Amino acid sequence: MIERTPLLNVTTYIVLCIGALMVFIPLWLVFVGATLTVREINIPELHLIPGNHLFENLSAAWERGHLGERLTNSLIMSLGVATGKVAMSAITAFGLVYFRFPGRMLIFWLIFITLMLPLEVRIVPTYAVAANALWPFQSILDATGISGIIASLTGIQLALEWNLLNSYTGLILPLIATATGTFLYRQFFLTVPDELLEAARMDGAGPFRFLTEFLIPLSRANMAALFTIMFLYAWNQYLWPLLATPDRAGFGTTAVVELKMLAPNVSTTGGGTPDWNVAMAGCLIVMLPPLLLVAFMQRYFVRGLIATEK
Amino acid sequence: MKSKLIATAATLLLAATTSAFSAERVKFEMWHGLTGDLGSAVEEVCKRFNDSQTAYEITCTSQGSYDNALQNAIAAYRAKKNPTIVQVFDAGTLDLLLSEAYVPAGKLMEDNGYKINWSDYVPAISNYYADSKGVLNSFPFNSSTAMLYWNKDAFAKIGKSEAPKTWEETFETLKALKTAGYECPMAWDYGVWQTMEQFSATNNIPIATKGNGYQGLDAEFSVNKTKFVDIIKSMKKAYDDGLVKIKTQDTGATIVQAFSNADCQLMLSSIADHGTVGKTQKPDMQWDVAMLPILAGGERHNSLVGGASLWTLKGKSADEYKGAAAFFNFIAQPDAALFFSTRTGYIPVTTSGFEFMKAQGFYDKAPYKGRELAIASLNASRITENTRGIRLGGYVQIRKEMRDALVEIFANKVSVEEGINSAVERSNAVLRKFEKTYGGKQLP
Amino acid sequence: MEKRATFSNASIGVLFVAPQILLVFTFFYWPTGAALFWAFTLERPWGGGNEWVGLDNFRQVFADRAYWASITRSLVFAGATTFLAMGFGLLLAVACDRGLKFYQGFRTVFVWPYAVVAPAAALAFRFIFAPDAGIFSALVKSNPEFWNPAQNGYHAMVMVIVCYSWKYAAYCFIFFLAALQAIPRSVIEASAMDGAGVLRRVRDIQLPLITPTFFFLLVISITDSFQDSFSIVDVMTDGGPAKATEFMVYKIYFDGFRGLDYSGAAAQSIVLMFLMIVLTFFQFRFIERRIHYS
Repeated sequence: MIERTPLLNVTTYIVLCIGALMVFIPLWLVFVGATLTVREINIPELHLIPGNHLFENLSAAWERGHLGERLTNSLIMSLGVATGKVAMSAITAFGLVYFRFPGRMLIFWLIFITLMLPLEVRIVPTYAVAANALWPFQSILDATGISGIIASLTGIQLALEWNLLNSYTGLILPLIATATGTFLYRQFFLTVPDELLEAARMDGAGPFRFLTEFLIPLSRANMAALFTIMFLYAWNQYLWPLLATPDRAGFGTTAVVELKMLAPNVSTTGGGTPDWNVAMAGCLIVMLPPLLLVAFMQRYFVRGLIATEK
Repeated sequence: MKSKLIATAATLLLAATTSAFSAERVKFEMWHGLTGDLGSAVEEVCKRFNDSQTAYEITCTSQGSYDNALQNAIAAYRAKKNPTIVQVFDAGTLDLLLSEAYVPAGKLMEDNGYKINWSDYVPAISNYYADSKGVLNSFPFNSSTAMLYWNKDAFAKIGKSEAPKTWEETFETLKALKTAGYECPMAWDYGVWQTMEQFSATNNIPIATKGNGYQGLDAEFSVNKTKFVDIIKSMKKAYDDGLVKIKTQDTGATIVQAFSNADCQLMLSSIADHGTVGKTQKPDMQWDVAMLPILAGGERHNSLVGGASLWTLKGKSADEYKGAAAFFNFIAQPDAALFFSTRTGYIPVTTSGFEFMKAQGFYDKAPYKGRELAIASLNASRITENTRGIRLGGYVQIRKEMRDALVEIFANKVSVEEGINSAVERSNAVLRKFEKTYGGKQLP
Repeated sequence: MEKRATFSNASIGVLFVAPQILLVFTFFYWPTGAALFWAFTLERPWGGGNEWVGLDNFRQVFADRAYWASITRSLVFAGATTFLAMGFGLLLAVACDRGLKFYQGFRTVFVWPYAVVAPAAALAFRFIFAPDAGIFSALVKSNPEFWNPAQNGYHAMVMVIVCYSWKYAAYCFIFFLAALQAIPRSVIEASAMDGAGVLRRVRDIQLPLITPTFFFLLVISITDSFQDSFSIVDVMTDGGPAKATEFMVYKIYFDGFRGLDYSGAAAQSIVLMFLMIVLTFFQFRFIERRIHYS
């Protein structure tokens, strides 16, 4: 499409450049912080010019934080969460939008309410669930007397246990169990014209084929956006991985948890070297994979449907 | 999901068999709240213990902060997955004492055949953590106390070579420094620990009834009736006259940063920051620490210990407790104290540790010279009801209420009396709720 | 909102929804239920003994003026950050969507803030806004009242809002951009043939077509501003000065997590949840009506 709009183009560039500048300033400060010595970073002034200690800070952070192994853990967890979330959200939203069954709205709201109470608030019982994910079901069986019946019939004492601590499953599953993606897909499916379903039906497509061959290809840009955001969301999680991975020597933990361990202690009675330079260097390392992923995911942001070349 | 279950069961089985093969060493865990280089120091202590013997292996895991260490230990304890040892900070002592979740330190050591000389602990430290019968239930670990840091260069400019001994003298000094052209004579960060708790102890003033709470859960917070109000008034006046500047992370520099950079000439801070100032100071700056000033005409009393202690939690095997006892025995040795104090700014907790370090010449030269004053400050007097420590429920919230009040006072939103009175009122509500939560329980 | 065309086989629909229901029940409802039960008792943190006290905890929470202030403050924060984040996100998305030269580079950069760990972002902004050292330090020298987030509650609030919006604009940006790119080019071309200029097309064609995403972001931004503000406040201000940035979730966290008052925190959580449900319901009831789907 060829249009001549020079004034508007200049304005657009100005907007883009101001936006980019606002993104860069804080990132630059983090970078500069990672290049200073512990003495320099503690001089109370705004540091804008990088020092020349970047590599020693990076290697200090890398070693102290065991970041090599931790980044692998983070990567597996984040990919798991992003993939799981995209898949789970798509099928849930599909079920909610394209089917009519009793209690449908109730289920939508039940899923939606999970957005309204953060993990911080329910940490103690959530730990218990992570230690034994079958605890809720055991309790229900006990309360309803079913386990009693089983015990008297078969002589087996039912003791369900599925420990999720120190496992990728345990890291991933609870982070998938929220509503953001479901809501996004619901919004998207609602915009899909009804005629599409009718056309698919005439084609003889059942629900499963309709989802995989019609809806999913249509939602590519949204899917890329959701995948990116969920990856970043999972990557930056702190509290859940901290709880779910007590075995640091064996299973290890995620990079962000380790990053927090690198940061100087902030406690009531002082102490500890305020080596924020190393912490900032750790930030740089931990930030890098997500930044690369964002750049990589760009290729999936393409016009949907009948995209024509310019 | 079923196949996952079987897989998990299989890995569990595998884990069980492999651990059976390498079962020569009993493994147990410690959770702590220290991070950064303090966290590394704790892990080095653990490594030294592991290298010192072959029967036990401790794994020390940082939980990111004191709060998280306590909270995660609670969550794990309730799910029966708790570590053997957990580090709990000073203000959480009462919660642990009332928890029934711990194995008393004395019993642990006795059961496992260790003899600990409890009177070897610095009295101000052991009394702080001990229960009402004087029994220590946890092991004091990383410990510190508050000190006055002063810039010798600035003092030389006003013809002084010693730190002020009284508050009155302190304010005079600040005036002189201001006159001599110093922009920021003293840095202050509303520190409740220094200005309320340590001030009250060193001047033998109560902060709550019932012996600061040691005699019962029905204690009432009472700082609005003591000389604490006067010192805050003096501080406010000094602040209005430009003698005291607020330095917090939000202003751009903490008190330690401002002092280390020679921007401010005095501060009240933990002895644990001694190493930090040394590492981040302006090159060639001359400085030293001194005991906190007291009120003129009064008698100096001991300051309070700050830091954390190590608790042993219930629900572990006899072998793990053996390991824990061996670990506590290890860290109680004088050379372990020397190692930890060299590596961090913390002070030794036993008299024998302190004497050993003195004999080694630890305190004779920079950068450790001056740190012996912390022990002197803790030993400044016999322990009284007011200098033993603080045993109040919900004390983290109380500290915050007082800090919030001080911020409002210094921002001229409320008068000194109004601010302190309302903080005391809110704090007493916290105390009453705590008392009710533990209704019917005796303070051990 | 209902679809007219649906599949008739309801039981298959239930199968599609079942896995999510199972997860949500196990990892959300069960633990949440356990935690919220404490609101009606006096729970001891380490367990053992929890006396039933009915609504006492709620009475105490509502009798506290500081608590009401934290509700108002949270609402102001939600409104301001949602407005800023969505505004900037949309502006940048529309600018990028024009597909001018180098736009791919900008597109990458604008997502970055969401990739930064919250504490690192908060730390950087703390440096920027520090009155003694940051960007305002020159102005502060001549007039100390000009900027002081360490003492002035409004300044602290502005600082926290800016930092949060910076991070969240990236979130809005990526979804707006995805929505804009999902508009078929043919629709825009048809409008261009009719002689509509760029700005008119944005106003008349593109913006109306992305209202479902707009609604999604509105709801999510508001709920998230209540939840995610925590880590930023924790690093930047600790809820201060004098409670000026103490939001509902920070207060729950502080009272429960640090102060070990589990019951008080649980009561506050129920109030928070109730408020969130009302807010969200209101949005679905009154705003979604104006959304044009398909």
